[in-house]
Order: sequence, then C-alpha cells, then structure tokens
Amino acid sequence: MTTQRIYSPEGLIGSAGRSLAASPELLSGRRIAVLDNGKPGAAFLLSELAARLAERTSARLVGVFAKGSAAMPCEDDVLDEIIETADLVLTGTAD
Amino acid sequence: MTRTTRAKAPAEVEALCDLPGAPEPTDLQAPIPADIELDGETPEAILELFAKRGWGDGLPLIPPTPERVEAMLAAGCADRDTDEVIATLPPRNGLATRRLLAVNAVLAGCPNGLLPVLVTAVRALARGELNLRGVNATTHPVAPLTIVHGDAVDALGFNAALGTFGPGCRANATLGRAVRLVLLHVAGAQPGPGDASTQGQPSKYAYCIAENQHESPWESYPRSRGIAAPSAVTIHCGENPHNFHDMESDVPGPILDKAASVMATLGSNNAPVSSAEFFVVLGPEHAATIAAAGWTRRDVQSFLFERARRPAREFRQAFEVVQVRPWITALGDDDAMPVTDHPDNIHVLVAGGPGKHSCVIPSWGMTRSVTLPIEP
Repeated sequence: MTTQRIYSPEGLIGSAGRSLAASPELLSGRRIAVLDNGKPGAAFLLSELAARLAERTSARLVGVFAKGSAAMPCEDDVLDEIIETADLVLTGTAD
Repeated sequence: MTRTTRAKAPAEVEALCDLPGAPEPTDLQAPIPADIELDGETPEAILELFAKRGWGDGLPLIPPTPERVEAMLAAGCADRDTDEVIATLPPRNGLATRRLLAVNAVLAGCPNGLLPVLVTAVRALARGELNLRGVNATTHPVAPLTIVHGDAVDALGFNAALGTFGPGCRANATLGRAVRLVLLHVAGAQPGPGDASTQGQPSKYAYCIAENQHESPWESYPRSRGIAAPSAVTIHCGENPHNFHDMESDVPGPILDKAASVMATLGSNNAPVSSAEFFVVLGPEHAATIAAAGWTRRDVQSFLFERARRPAREFRQAFEVVQVRPWITALGDDDAMPVTDHPDNIHVLVAGGPGKHSCVIPSWGMTRSVTLPIEP
C-alpha cells in the first residue's frame, strides 16, 4: 500500500490550560462569594447555594458580585475585589 | 527559528502582500513537522484518518502533503517567516503560523494564492474586540463571515456578484471552509468540547463573500472605515443572512423599511444587546435605487437607525437579561427603542448580482467586526 506523509492540521498549543486552585479542606469560618455570570437566574441559584453551603459548614457569605456580561471575561477590578474579600467563589451557570 | 526563503510569487499576489499596516514579525515560533503517515491514496483514506482523530468538517479533504503546503506558501507568502506565530486562537490556544494555515488551506481545497487572505482573516479573528472565545463557546449559532474587499477580489477569483453567498466559486467556497477548518483544528472549536452551539448553522461550513465594488455607488467598505489599502478582509461574527426583498420601490424608504423590519426582530441575539452590530448587504439594484435618490452610505445608516425600532415595552417584556446603554434604559415604555444604539453599528456594503434582494446579518451580540488590510 502506498503511504504519504502529511501535516497535522492542529499545530501547537500556546499555553497550558489553567487549573482551579485547590479547594480548602474545611469550609468552617471561610468567606464565600458569589460571582453572578449574567445568565438568567444565576444570581438567585448561586446565592441560594452559597447560603445553604454557609449554613451547613459555618462559613460566611460575604457578597454577590456581578461581571459586566455573560459573554465576556470578568473585569479585573471585580476579580481583585473578590480575591480581597473571599476565600472561595461560586460561579458558572449556563443557558 | 525556521525562516525559509521561497520563490517569488506572481506579481499580483506579491502586490497584495506588501501592504501598509502589516504588523512586525514576532519572535515566537511554532514549527510543525509533516509526521503523519497516511496509508493509501484514495479520497477515502484521509477522510477515515481524520474521522478517527476527530478532525475535519465531514466533507472530502485534500491531503496536506509537504509538496502541496510548500506550493501554497510559495504562492501566497513568499519571503515570509512560515513558522512565526501570528495568532493564538481560543479556546484551545492553538498557535497559528503561516505554515499551519497553509495546511488547512490545502485541506479545504484552496487554490494557491489565497493564503494571504486566510492569514489576514485569522489575524482579525484573534483581535480582542471580536471576542473569539465567546464566539466559539456560545450556544448561539454564530459563524464568522469573511468579506473580501478590493483588488484581491478579481486577482484571486472571488465572486462578488450573482450568488456571492452561494456555491459555485472555488475561492469563496474554499476560503470560507479554510476559516472553519482553522477554527476546528487550531482554535479547537469542535462541536461539544469547543463549540456549544445548540443547533449550529449552515454557514459554519463556509461563510465567505466579496464586496461588489464594481457595482457599488459608494466608496469601498474598508475606505469608509479608514483603511486605504488596495485589499482588505472583514470578519463579522453573525447569523446566517436574513433576506429581504423589494421588487417594486423606486425610492429608498420602502426598501430600507424592509431591512429595518428584519433588524428589529425580537428573535435575534442583537435585541437584548444595544451595542450589537448589523451588516446590511445590499444587492446592486437596491443600492443603485438608493444612491440615485442622492443617499450616501451614512444616510442609509441613519435611516435604519431611526426605523429599526420597537416600543421599549416589547423589548422589556421579551428579555429579563439585557445589556443596554443607560440612555436606552431611560426610555419610556411607549418610546420607540432602537434595536442598536448608534448608526455606526449598522454596516452597509454592496454584494450580489441582478435582482431585487438584499440581506441583514445580525451579529452574535458581544462581538465587534474587524477589518484589516490583506497581508501575509
């Protein structure tokens, strides 16, 4: 059988994907924030989840933040505020 | 670093490559080897190999052998750095080089000479305001429309006239397909892991037209955007074309009212995003009727801005989540709310052939179109 050499169409990847930070082993006393990603119902769903999580673990819900658009990355100043304010953040509902 | 000096391309292609505004080469290199063995020379062989690896668009492909890729590079980007990284495409963060784009151009069946157009299209896709990560990731069916302008249209055989959106022209078909293959392979926009589009749309196979400057009554679209280069490429990430027809009117208003009616639909992603763009692609006959009344491109934009409206109440009843300018929020429920917040968001150009048809192409919403001079 005849063979021919060809190129892969994918090429190389520029940077490795980022991984999530390790979750804290205990949530007790931790500060939980919510990042509303702008999808319908996200603030309600995530806030309820955060409230129940805090209730079960003696953590604290410290704030609900919102980014400008569901379709765009979160603004740096919002991320900075979350980093200063919270130990973990709930986000990421979809359509 | 790999820098290869190649035979000179035909003069008309070289002329397209040497344009002002071309960015300086970067230091980042991403050389790739031709290291895949393809067993057999039948058309089915590469289809089967690509299917196994999750590559391709499901249609027949031309094997990207070193000979074919070298020929594509020589005809389109002679004397250019073949392994220079010209763009990083999300979500995969694939590194696009001229050689890799040539590989995908060969796969798509592009005739030699189209590579500078593809390179420019990819540069445009990588611009931040276009928001390629969102375009690829959304559940919306959005696909990048490539519009070719200027000398490149005739020099490279693009069809700007009858059936410009349709089949039959190799340059339109394969350039549009090459853009999609780059998104699938380099950007990783594969349905599922990299493209969440609920239904997709036919223009995700190929979506390329050319501006019909020969029959346009106005200056070229790039010139209207401040780009004076002989050739240019626009990328607009949008829906399929929404046709409108007017067989009877001999004045602009009734023709453009039909365009405004299409623009003001509640079904478009543009409806809840006030800064979203529209492309209004006028057939030459509609454009001639409008221009004969003394209307400029700006007049068309202004008229559509005024007429593409619905009572604010209707928008508010239709959408819970919106992204609108503050002055739009201040409108009363009975006020006529524009579907886009500025005439500059309405882009007008001429394409197509004889007949009384034109179209509106709403965007995905959170994306801005990009026009760049063609360069390798």
